[in-house]
Amino acid sequence: MHEPHSPLLRLAKRDGMPRGQVWAIRLGSFAAALLISALIFLIMGHNPLGAFGTMVTGSLGKKTAIRQTVRIAIPLLGTALAIAPCFKMRFWNIGAEGQITAGAVGASYFALFWADKLPQVPLLIVMAVAGAICGGLWALIPAFFKARWGTNETLFTLMMNYIMIGVVKWLQGGPWEGRPGSQIIPQFDDAAVLPKVLGVHCGWIIVLILMVFMFVYMKYTKQGYEIAVIGESENTARYAGMNVGKIIMRTMFLSGAIAGLVGFIVSSGADNTLHAGVAAGVGFTAITVAWLAQLNPFAMVAISMLLAVLEKGASTLETQMAVPASISDIITGIFLFCMLGCEFFINYRLIVRGGHKEGAAQ
Amino acid sequence: MKKRLLALLLAGAMTFGLAACGNTDLGSAESPSGTTPAGTETGGEAAKTVKVGLICIGDENDQGYTYNFIRGKEAVTEALAAKGITVDWEVKYNVGEDSSCEEANIELAEAGCDLIINNSFGFEPYMLKVAPDYPEIEFISCTNQASAVDELENTHNAFANIYEGRYLAGVVAGMKMQEMIDNGEITADQAVIGYVGAYSFAEVISGFTAYYLGAKSVCPSVTMKVQFVGSWSDATLEGNAAQALCDAGCVMISQHSDNTTPATAAQNAGAFHTGYNNDMIAVAPEASLIGTRIDWSVYFEYAIEAVANGESFEQDWCHGMDEGAVVMTPLNEEIAAAGTADKLAEVEEQLRSGALQVFDTSTFTVEGAELTTCMALDTDGDFVADSEEAVFDGAFHESYFQSAPYFTAQIDGIEWLNSAY
Repeated sequence: MHEPHSPLLRLAKRDGMPRGQVWAIRLGSFAAALLISALIFLIMGHNPLGAFGTMVTGSLGKKTAIRQTVRIAIPLLGTALAIAPCFKMRFWNIGAEGQITAGAVGASYFALFWADKLPQVPLLIVMAVAGAICGGLWALIPAFFKARWGTNETLFTLMMNYIMIGVVKWLQGGPWEGRPGSQIIPQFDDAAVLPKVLGVHCGWIIVLILMVFMFVYMKYTKQGYEIAVIGESENTARYAGMNVGKIIMRTMFLSGAIAGLVGFIVSSGADNTLHAGVAAGVGFTAITVAWLAQLNPFAMVAISMLLAVLEKGASTLETQMAVPASISDIITGIFLFCMLGCEFFINYRLIVRGGHKEGAAQ
Repeated sequence: MKKRLLALLLAGAMTFGLAACGNTDLGSAESPSGTTPAGTETGGEAAKTVKVGLICIGDENDQGYTYNFIRGKEAVTEALAAKGITVDWEVKYNVGEDSSCEEANIELAEAGCDLIINNSFGFEPYMLKVAPDYPEIEFISCTNQASAVDELENTHNAFANIYEGRYLAGVVAGMKMQEMIDNGEITADQAVIGYVGAYSFAEVISGFTAYYLGAKSVCPSVTMKVQFVGSWSDATLEGNAAQALCDAGCVMISQHSDNTTPATAAQNAGAFHTGYNNDMIAVAPEASLIGTRIDWSVYFEYAIEAVANGESFEQDWCHGMDEGAVVMTPLNEEIAAAGTADKLAEVEEQLRSGALQVFDTSTFTVEGAELTTCMALDTDGDFVADSEEAVFDGAFHESYFQSAPYFTAQIDGIEWLNSAY
């Protein structure tokens, strides 16, 4: 009765699932995430409905709450946009963390030492350009090595993060330190701070412009097309006469420049200073955002807002229901896991042993 | 086969459901009991309730800095309950010194807190961004210095004269070393203290100088080596630094860092130790002599009571032994030198009455000369003190012009092994 060579469960790739079914699976996984989270709240002795309610009202219930949620979403969206072209090219840039930090360093240099020499608008523009160039150059290093010697970009970009964060730590305790021994770089001059629009620093406008830019760039430009071709097959690209190395370096520079711009936005708009934690893990979370959005810039807005709602909601849970922050992290993890996991069921089919001839087997 | 699998799944789902039901009961049983005390309060006498937010850099598991705040929180809740004031706390743990601190302040302000306490130095700039939007809420930045002097009425600074406690701990350490010299266990020049410091920051420098002066007052031949670790809290680095100091011949270890690893390292190396923030006798019974800590409940009581009564309170608060804001942890009588407890009581009384100045300029020299002038405050923002003469009446007056410490002189007898931090 048992077929010795067939495992209990096996997988098969599936293509062309109807749109409705795809969304049904996604909604189902979202519901599953809600259920599992509810169970965790129950085990912890909290009312799950109350907890979810608190999360939603805490993140979207008030004007101030919405502003805070948007502030969390801005760097996530910006960084997801930054890494999208790399991922499209199958270049695994997990160095956004370092590129954000490098951009923040570039912007902070002008914020700290040029604030009294330039009026606000030119100063902010110089800071933004400096941030983009620093982030871009930092990303260019692993891209150059990849293009020239075929080094592993995943490890390379990861290592570059630690170097840049180390550089900032040195700046914090050394040349840029404020009060001796404090390890804190002074707050920027008001001129170096991004102005607020609708109560949130105008970084949100910048990332929305970037979103449109990235959509057009990936979809309608020659460069975007080249990126897509390399992502599908490097050999095809080469056969078509593309200079793969050059395209890798160009794309990484662009990616790093956008991440660097995010670094500028965070240091100028949110923190008003530079510190080693400026990227705050956004470089990694943004990978999830980009992946969940399937590299679609518009979908990234929704995903980064969803993550921001989870984060802000979790923070409200901590204050209002005394739910430990670690529980909130678990809940966020469950949501991400379910949402990423459902893509698996969209792309693959689970086949149970004997399933195809069940009539005979029973 | 498929049926069996299905049954298995079903069974799983059922246990899952049962567990969920069981927990529903648990949850519903718990929630009324959670609301009862609040109900009785409103039903009882018209007690005042103050909602206080507390933003912490760590959590109580650090057994050091934040734990000490949590102890203050618990003590003040009890003390104020006796006065008919209910304190309703909202605490945020593990908040970073970045814009997340700004978010935390907004969060607590929106949650309806009357008073918001920021427990870490680096929180202040972010707190000050939120404070103008909520003029009816009082904001406190512990250990920092800008809130007291800004234009805002609702921002406050607070610290305690922890250098007094350091001085006393130094006396305990000095007596132990002097006893060892007298017993012939070490020679006079082997009385070397090793100090594990976080950063070369005024608060740390002020603390170890006070400690050294306390030791020197009873053991004239003492010298000190300071090793900075470049972190407020890194158990491994702190332990390694203490170990290195012991290897370099130090017989007494003290620390300005959050963990207990210097105490255990001292014990392993056969040295003695005095602690900070917490009683460390339990982790190093053969080494830990005494510790000192700030009792935050004293200030909390002052501030919360003022808020409850609708009164204003000082924008820059700093007290020490005079109000019990600095306390010593229990003395380890088993290993302390004979007569330590009496001496401790005597010096403590002198400090309390003001008869003894910790930074008495006749007791130390800087580059071979007596300290005759030293500015306390920086007014032009270049981080170099330029106003308010702190040396007068024969002593350097620490925490006199502002609550945050400002003693940064490198006195003779203390060797900085690495000042990079």
